[in-house]
Amino acid sequence: MSVADSTVAGRAVIELDHVSRAFKVPGGTITAVDGVSLAIGAGEALCIVGESGCGKTTTGRMLAGILHPTSGRLLYEGEDVWRKKGNELSTFRRAVQLVHQDPYASLNPTRTIFQTLSAPLYRHKKAKGNRDATNRVRHLLDVVGLTPPDDFLGKYPHQLSGGQRQRVAIARALTVDPRVIVADEAVSMVDVSIRISLLNLLLGLRSEMGVSIVLITHDLAVARYFAREGRIGVMYLGRMVELGHSEALVSDPAHPYSAALIAAIPEADPRITRSKERVALKTAEVPSLLALPPGCTFHPRCPLAEPGLCDVQIPELLPLPADTPREVACHVAIRERRPAAELLA
Amino acid sequence: MTAAAIPRRGDRTLPGPIEGGLEFLRLLSRRPSGLVGFAGIVFFLVLAFVAPIFVPNQESGDVNAIYQTPSAQHFLGTDNTGRDVLNQIVQGGKEIIGVALITAFLTTLVATVLGSVSALVGGRFDAALVGLADILLTVPPLIVLIVISALARPTNFLALALVLSLLGWAGLMRQVRAQVLTLKERDYVEAAKSLDLGLTHIVFREILPNMRSYIVIHFVLAMTGAIYAQVALIILGLVPFSGKNWALMLYFAQTQGAFYFRDAFWFVFSPIFAIILLQLSLVLFVNAMEDIFNPRLRSS
Amino acid sequence: MTPILSVRDLSIDYRTRRGPVHAVRDVSFDIEKGETVAIIGESGSGKTTLAVSFIRLSPRSARITKGQILYTNDRETVDIQTLPDDELRQYRWSECAMVFQAALNSFNPVINIWEQFADTARAHGMKDSAKIHARAQELLDLVHLDPDRILKAYPHELSGGMKQRVLIALSLLLEPQLIILDEPTTALDILTQRSIIDLLGQLRKKLGFSLIFISHDLSIAAELADRMITMYAGTIVERASVTDLFYRPRHPYSVGLLRAVPRVSGAMGSVASIPGSPPDLIRLPSGCTYVPRCPLAIAACAEREPDLVPVDTPNHEARCIRWKTVAEQVGTAEVAVAEKIATA
Repeated sequence: MSVADSTVAGRAVIELDHVSRAFKVPGGTITAVDGVSLAIGAGEALCIVGESGCGKTTTGRMLAGILHPTSGRLLYEGEDVWRKKGNELSTFRRAVQLVHQDPYASLNPTRTIFQTLSAPLYRHKKAKGNRDATNRVRHLLDVVGLTPPDDFLGKYPHQLSGGQRQRVAIARALTVDPRVIVADEAVSMVDVSIRISLLNLLLGLRSEMGVSIVLITHDLAVARYFAREGRIGVMYLGRMVELGHSEALVSDPAHPYSAALIAAIPEADPRITRSKERVALKTAEVPSLLALPPGCTFHPRCPLAEPGLCDVQIPELLPLPADTPREVACHVAIRERRPAAELLA
Repeated sequence: MTAAAIPRRGDRTLPGPIEGGLEFLRLLSRRPSGLVGFAGIVFFLVLAFVAPIFVPNQESGDVNAIYQTPSAQHFLGTDNTGRDVLNQIVQGGKEIIGVALITAFLTTLVATVLGSVSALVGGRFDAALVGLADILLTVPPLIVLIVISALARPTNFLALALVLSLLGWAGLMRQVRAQVLTLKERDYVEAAKSLDLGLTHIVFREILPNMRSYIVIHFVLAMTGAIYAQVALIILGLVPFSGKNWALMLYFAQTQGAFYFRDAFWFVFSPIFAIILLQLSLVLFVNAMEDIFNPRLRSS
Repeated sequence: MTPILSVRDLSIDYRTRRGPVHAVRDVSFDIEKGETVAIIGESGSGKTTLAVSFIRLSPRSARITKGQILYTNDRETVDIQTLPDDELRQYRWSECAMVFQAALNSFNPVINIWEQFADTARAHGMKDSAKIHARAQELLDLVHLDPDRILKAYPHELSGGMKQRVLIALSLLLEPQLIILDEPTTALDILTQRSIIDLLGQLRKKLGFSLIFISHDLSIAAELADRMITMYAGTIVERASVTDLFYRPRHPYSVGLLRAVPRVSGAMGSVASIPGSPPDLIRLPSGCTYVPRCPLAIAACAEREPDLVPVDTPNHEARCIRWKTVAEQVGTAEVAVAEKIATA
């Protein structure tokens, strides 16, 4: 039984089913996301991790229904979203909200916080009249920790700090009572000293309101903290290479790429970071998305790659028998029935 | 909590007209040149639209007092038929400024609507409009104006405004389109889409307010353009206007040979000064606008 | 031995409409030859203002109100502020080079990397093209790039990591004794970050220059620094060796920063943000600037701003009257602060 089945069997709120997304660029077509499947359960906290160009943002935007997949399906409560029309489609739209990376670009500079937060309330008849809207906006500001709320109602975005703006963006997502929030690098542009409090805010929404949160990040330490009770998915060049419970993934990565990534991360601890064992890759060069290698896209860099196997066949994301269930897209790890971290050691 | 903290309904939390006006002047006062420009604009609006109510139009001239130099009786002297120049300056602004205002309004309206729609709809509609705009932009405007005026002979100033705006929208339309194309990719517009706030909200609440400064600035610039175009057409005698008009004064000064009389200095230069001062006021004002519309500067 | 860079009582203000912003206040420290110092702090802590003043590249609105920046080489000691323009040009690059984070995007896109090298070299009096070429090849080799390919390449053909390497190579062109790096790895991917960190470590050993880097990222400091300086609200709040700062911090802000960063390896520990936000640098509070966010603040803290005082470990100073209480909480064992607090 796969991890996805074990954790969210039958109660996936939203699910990507073999989705791919291609973009036309000068010089050809790039496949930003290639055959990713991912089911997100109700109230789940999941992280998608990867380096730039791995397709994590595209995946998040497809989850949020902002980007149409080139192939594959997006399922909301088991139904194909892109076959829906009119009302049903807008119900879905509202059920999944996106929190953007850049708090300086995600709020309209010409609108006050009250205007930003009250517009969806009026539009969707969640507030009647000015007094009701004001009370609801106050409540939302309170939920996201902007207190006292009255200090914020009449402010413009430029009068707030990055962290405060990000809280407003989260409050804005909450105006429509979403089931899922996709947070794309939502903490990477705020000061380090307040990142954890924003992550805690998102985790609180999950535990108190049952909202599922998908956090997209390049920072594995953030992912480990955020998804400590959930799963982390690691992406590389458009494919999901590993998906598993976060502690197992971080302490004993099953895919050689995850292993290399974790070994390379500089840590805020001189003793640990200076004594870390590196995973030596065959090359530092990342293949161009315009000319992806055949087979496993990691094989040109992978120390475990086997000629005739890894450079020919695309590995599927398969369950790896272990104490903690996880899935990995690696021929060698699956065959050896051991995580790559152990094979590399 | 204070009363000020209770926002009014919906989007109407912007300050009322009086507070808004005061805020506008306060911001303008930071840029003295802008204040000068603003004062100039107010002066010319009053001169053109209020003063004529109190100053009777002087129709007939006085053959005994042609080309007089300034005196207590005639502050700016008299013209070739002995009419008071100051009286003509007072009477002659209405049409010029009126045509400029109407032209600017029509140009801005057409350009904003077409530019936004073009950017939002995209596809063939967009391509067709952009193509049309490009054609208009590649032909020299003054020559087209001359041709159109010569053929169509606009006989009233509304018709002239229409002709001017028909020729003038293309540049602004392309700029509005480019602006909307970038604005519609902004994260907050994307957020508005996924909050299902509707197209009307997205256009009028999210996108257009971010172009306010842009639109106002181009409105004023369109006015300056329309003033020059009118003056050119009238001086060339292509618009058979009768009545009083600064440009018409220049036309008569030219056709009646006033340029060759030293004493006609005031007759010739008064309308030129009026036009230059008006244009200068508009330009000074435009330069200060950027500050006023920047919300970052508004609160500090 | 005379330190290569000595900053004494430096204060820098920015003029704004609302009044002067006190971006840097009474900062003093020395950088020894061959030493690597990390200046850490969040946005608005004054770290960037401080660093650009070392090469006199402060914006026009900035004004040094007090203090000196002294640079010493084999021959003489100079005051950066009073350096005549021609000597300043010589000082930049040939004595002290700075690599900005923003520089990754500031390559001239229409000239290739060879021309970028040649332009920089000629601007500093190197005339002989063959010599410049040889030097460029040598440097690119040093940063593990293929010189023949890279020199012909245009900036858009290079990845972020390659550009960062080229920038480092460029900064080494005139063999500076001091290199200042502004957020050297922030914009880069993890594996690239790792290779840049390793590269900087190697170069430092091989070439023996002094290195200052300013960053909000504690992990890079943990990797590379010999000593660390923590800045808050424009001033130094703690100064210590890298191990002391990570395992025996004595200022509550350093403790807060260390706890705010989660880790991938080892125990998660107790991770928490610092409540509140940094003070307004125009109207600074009268006492310690950290009081509004400090869990240990007492009435005395708000009375006057504390001095930077020596604490229990050698060569270690903190601007806190309650450093002993901090010491009791975090102890002296070499365990990450977050873990100690989690188990305490």
